[in-house]
Amino acid sequence: MTSALREPAAAPTRRGGPGRAGGRSVMARWDARTGLLFALPTFLLFLAFRFGPAIAGVGLSFFDYDISGSLEWEGLANFERMVGDPVFWQALRVTVLYTLLAVPLSLGLSLVMALAVRRRFRGVGFFRSVFFLPVITSLVLAGTVFVWVFSTDGPVSTVSQWLGGSGQSWLSSSLLVVPALVLVGVWSRFGYGMLILLAGLQEVPRELEEAALTDGAGPVARFRYIVLPHLRPSLFFLAVIETTASFQVFDLIFVMTQGGPARGSYTLVYMLYDQGFKYVDYGYAAAIGVALFAMTLVVAVVQRRFLGRES
Amino acid sequence: MSAPTAQVAAPPAVPPPAAARRRPYRALEPTRRGKVLRGLLLAAGSLLTIFPFYAMVVIALRPETAIDFPSSLLPWNLDTSAFREVLAGQDMLRWTLNSVIYSVVSVVAVLVMASMAGYAFAKKRFPGREAMFWSFLAMVMVPYHVTLIPTFIVMAKLGGVDTYWGLILPSLANAQAVFLMRQFIKGLPDELFEAAKIDGAGEWRTFATIVLPLCKPVLATLGTFVFLWHWNDFLWPLIIGKSADMWTLTVGIASLRQQQVPLSVVLAGSVVALVPIFAAYAVAQRSFQEGVAQTGIKG
Repeated sequence: MTSALREPAAAPTRRGGPGRAGGRSVMARWDARTGLLFALPTFLLFLAFRFGPAIAGVGLSFFDYDISGSLEWEGLANFERMVGDPVFWQALRVTVLYTLLAVPLSLGLSLVMALAVRRRFRGVGFFRSVFFLPVITSLVLAGTVFVWVFSTDGPVSTVSQWLGGSGQSWLSSSLLVVPALVLVGVWSRFGYGMLILLAGLQEVPRELEEAALTDGAGPVARFRYIVLPHLRPSLFFLAVIETTASFQVFDLIFVMTQGGPARGSYTLVYMLYDQGFKYVDYGYAAAIGVALFAMTLVVAVVQRRFLGRES
Repeated sequence: MSAPTAQVAAPPAVPPPAAARRRPYRALEPTRRGKVLRGLLLAAGSLLTIFPFYAMVVIALRPETAIDFPSSLLPWNLDTSAFREVLAGQDMLRWTLNSVIYSVVSVVAVLVMASMAGYAFAKKRFPGREAMFWSFLAMVMVPYHVTLIPTFIVMAKLGGVDTYWGLILPSLANAQAVFLMRQFIKGLPDELFEAAKIDGAGEWRTFATIVLPLCKPVLATLGTFVFLWHWNDFLWPLIIGKSADMWTLTVGIASLRQQQVPLSVVLAGSVVALVPIFAAYAVAQRSFQEGVAQTGIKG
């Protein structure tokens, strides 16, 4: 195919002689060469470190492989093991629970804050910037202070004691550890969602809102019938991004809980990391990656059906 | 402004036209009660947002080991011993250097390659273009972690574990950056490039003297975003760096946390690691915010 496109004699004869057409074909050839040349570095890297490994990752889940190089076909053995593995089900449960709590909370807070800083007023830039600070902060670095925040000496348990609670450390309670991590995750992400929704709010025509106002529509009705429909694409995008990110939560858990207590915060990616790099069981780790991939696809399809109808 | 209003507001049963035209301009502003509510919400929100940073800095400045709430958060009786301790260690310097190398090299390489590829995909026809572009698009849905194990195995085979190139190379395959550059360059008028060609400029010259200068704003945005992403990256540096000499700041500070290092020292390290990002943010807030909004990915 490549050689046919580059055949020098073909173009002029087919286009009926030299002149303009001939000149253009020389130009097209130059275009093809530079285009290929310019795209190639990125494409080769992409082939070597994304596309290739993604296929290898799926392939690897059907094998038993160790670093010495022994590669054995296992068929579905890794997946059968996964289905019978209580640790996998625990990791799945924690991942889903984290996602179910974090995504609505993060989306809701993003929306409320975006609406709050939507119009210009004195100091609006300050608030936008402050809410964005956690987004640029690595959770590995912030996680350390959050360990203290949720410890027995920290503000959360102290305040809960003032209110008559038990004042225990959230991170060592198997019941409270996921909510604690969710709060940290929401803290770190809502500013990002706020920004995306703020961009979406720019798309709402002011005239429409003014018209609704003159018709006597209150703020709730204006939001429901005018703002929300225009926000749908942004909300859909955000829901997908947030769900995917929640499925893949890792840094936070590595730094704050190491999956504990008693696997109470053990997520799928944490399990993948454990299996791959602690137990050096590459095939099983790859199978967990495939499970993660499948979950991501299912969620994207479901969300597209229910949220993305108009986009 | 009045024409579309008339178009949409079909029912005419509202106030006289003169008043109607004047009022809406300010009428969308919140009421007095709305403003108070908004103020309270924003104040509470920003206090909760800033609190961890405040606690981080104050605890890093605390000499004692028992950190109680709220007494330990009062800004007196502070000293800088934790900062001196963490900065005196050779490791911190090395980790900072590694983070700088990882981030800066990646930013330069990604900007150059993504603008080249973006130019090619936006303005050139070449064999395999569609296939390449679709393979980029398709990979957006594949979680990064699916590729993690094979990438590590390949790196181990090639001897890239514990090396800078092993750390940097895989992260340069950045499809998002190519999309962004393609989108931007697509919007530039073709006539510019044709004029350059007629003037006898070669492709490289056209690229260097016309494409790149026009892309300055988008390059600034993309650059801050890529920098942020690499500076905060954790999992790949954690896996590929076996010895403490090859750790980045995030990996190093996470390891301090695993050891029995006092909280104030770990937090002093975190504060030091956050300074470059916050300083850059103070200078280029717009670029940061646009970078994250446009590329659609958080660091």
